[in-house]
Amino acid sequence: MGRIVGIDLGTTNSLVAYVDAQTGQPKCIPGPYGSTLCPSVVSLDADGSVIVGEAARRRLLTQPERTIYSVKRLMGRGPADVQSELQLFPFRIDPQSKNVIRVMLGDKMFTPPEISAFILRELRNWAEAYLGETVDRAVITVPAYFNDAQRQATKDAGRIAGLEVLRLVNEPTAAALAYGLHEKQRGHVAVYDLGGGTFDISILKLISTGEGDIYQVLSTNGDTHLGGDDIDNLLQAFVHERIRETEDLDFSPHGELAQDLRKSLIAAKHELSEKESVTLRFALPSGKTFVHNFSRTGFEALIQNVVNRTMTPVKQALADAHLAPSAIEEVVLVGGTTRTPLIRCTVQEFFGRKPHTELNPDEVVALGAAAQANILERGVSNMLLLDVTPLSLGIETYGGAVSRIIPRNSTIPASAQEQYTTGVDNQTGIDIHVLQGERELARDCRSLARFTLKVPPAPAGLPRIEVAFLIDANGILQVAAKDMRTGERHSIEVQPSYGINDTEIERMLEESIEYAEQDFAERQLIEARTESEAILSATTKALANPQSAEIPPAERSNIEAAIAALKQSVAGTDYKLIRKRIDELNHATEHLAELLMNSAVSTALAGRKLAEV
Amino acid sequence: MDGLEQEFLQLSWKLHPDNFVNTDEGEREISLQRSSRLNDAYRVLKDPVARVEYLLELEGMRKEGEHKQQAPPELLEEVFELNESLDELREAKSAGANLDALTIKLRAAEKNFGEKLHEVDAEMKTAAQQWDAALDANTSETDREAILQRLNELLNRRSYIRNLVAGVEKELQAASC
Repeated sequence: MGRIVGIDLGTTNSLVAYVDAQTGQPKCIPGPYGSTLCPSVVSLDADGSVIVGEAARRRLLTQPERTIYSVKRLMGRGPADVQSELQLFPFRIDPQSKNVIRVMLGDKMFTPPEISAFILRELRNWAEAYLGETVDRAVITVPAYFNDAQRQATKDAGRIAGLEVLRLVNEPTAAALAYGLHEKQRGHVAVYDLGGGTFDISILKLISTGEGDIYQVLSTNGDTHLGGDDIDNLLQAFVHERIRETEDLDFSPHGELAQDLRKSLIAAKHELSEKESVTLRFALPSGKTFVHNFSRTGFEALIQNVVNRTMTPVKQALADAHLAPSAIEEVVLVGGTTRTPLIRCTVQEFFGRKPHTELNPDEVVALGAAAQANILERGVSNMLLLDVTPLSLGIETYGGAVSRIIPRNSTIPASAQEQYTTGVDNQTGIDIHVLQGERELARDCRSLARFTLKVPPAPAGLPRIEVAFLIDANGILQVAAKDMRTGERHSIEVQPSYGINDTEIERMLEESIEYAEQDFAERQLIEARTESEAILSATTKALANPQSAEIPPAERSNIEAAIAALKQSVAGTDYKLIRKRIDELNHATEHLAELLMNSAVSTALAGRKLAEV
Repeated sequence: MDGLEQEFLQLSWKLHPDNFVNTDEGEREISLQRSSRLNDAYRVLKDPVARVEYLLELEGMRKEGEHKQQAPPELLEEVFELNESLDELREAKSAGANLDALTIKLRAAEKNFGEKLHEVDAEMKTAAQQWDAALDANTSETDREAILQRLNELLNRRSYIRNLVAGVEKELQAASC
């Protein structure tokens, strides 16, 4: 059997981590670009090959119709759920999709789990290349507030990627685990996790016992559609409006223009976490340049509403844990979006204490997943995670009402048994509708599954069937039935309302192997060569520009040396060396890029690479 | 840490599915069944109200769907007044009149019933302790029967008042929209 890794399958970035056998500490694995972050972007080339991560992210601008990002937003959801997403995201959804969404990439269609599987496979490749061992099992993290369908979709993605998913762990719980190992904390801990697309708050109790440490989740709450993406959307809408005051432009999300602007806005947003103000310069097709000065206060006023929206779940989670804010001894911030100063301030003020930010908020979830993977790999451990189900489980009763059978924040695994009988003679089936949510009416809750319980013909009221509903340690529903008179067990085929069935998953697994057959190293080499071509041609063009006369001769010869070194590496087959030479050339041309940018029309964000100018 | 919690955590160490990932399917299934039963049991036992409900069910005092919803006699007058105010609120709202005075009155009533809820909870706690003591002291069946009756009454009273409070909350919320 191969290694187990921990994977953070994120909206914006995904990471893979493992526990180092020597130090016993979890560690994130870097990819071919040297970064541990793998952008959660997938692109399908015209030749049918799949590109994932940084290389795919670059294709968002050049081949938006073949590239998809933020697919996590679509996991476990039906076409009707995502209509509002489509206004701002360039998802191209097959109009024929029924329960399961199908997304078009070029001329091919994929379900969200299949696209996520491409990301998982990429991370698996990173891990195998780094560890030099086969990786066939994983712990994957999910937002704590994910419902059954979203969890099931994540597990399906693992299967399609050829990974046995040993456990789905809630992201804030994983973060607490990583921090616990790091800080040896005790007592009540709040984990505030604002990522690219999801928000979670979890309240945990860390207990030391004779056997070891227990991480007991007391309550969790959140919003699976609230995150950094929403801040980007606000910025985008704001700037679109400003630009449209003078120019008549099409900012449809599929267009290159909108994607390009979004990229500049995200860079500006990141800078505003460090600086008090930032100037955005954006070249418009008309040849004019849009210039806007964002002040930190102006930015904060714009995003105040997003920050406020996180506080309702925070208060609810505390109420459910029967704790006041002052009873929380430690606050942990997770997710890239928590770098925003307004968020740090708001959280600090609410809890009356300074939150922990020592661990990299992008990496902490993956580190926790690796720690949990390590626990499962060894079988016995001095650490135990007790997590909860975020949403109440119910069944539809007469008149469309919901009878709650497992309340939210129940420790999982959790179960409930319901007894059923027939209402008329020789009735052969009883319809059961399982739901998740806090509302009183079935139509306001999330439908998980509908099924018909088969009953042997008998006089009304005579059959006694007990149905056991069980939420497993992954937060996924299982259903079993037992005939109370005969003791006979019925197997129940539960067709999930928004899921894919087993046969389809098998087919997808087979198909995905075809995609995977391309050798990873070979693919990396092609990528690196393509990229070096782009940067070499950009550099040659830049050096031919009259403006470049301003750079000192020593710098010019540095650049020429870097060009020669890169050309030499491209002749070889070592993709890592090519990457290194690309970085060196990028570094050598930083000043040149800045020079050309100031004189030309592009955005004026420093640190840009020449190929992006 | 109380005894119940300690017991729960200790059993969790033994039964949790994390400990059985590398075992065969049969053992994994048993671990899943047992740890879910453990969690179900703890969920009921740590909640004083759910615990009393469960006790009464065990003792055959309470069957599912058989919850009494009559007003406890000593509350009749206050409940009558409350319902009147709620009617007034609804009328005033549909007439578009000013709701401030009625809202204040209802908030006060809500607070009043909230306090009663706390009283019932305290009484229930005492009665539950009496039950535990009666079991330990092996008292007569009639005595125990009386405690169970008392618990049953308190539970009905509690669910009645709780519905009342929830109802007022809902109306106040609707009025403020």
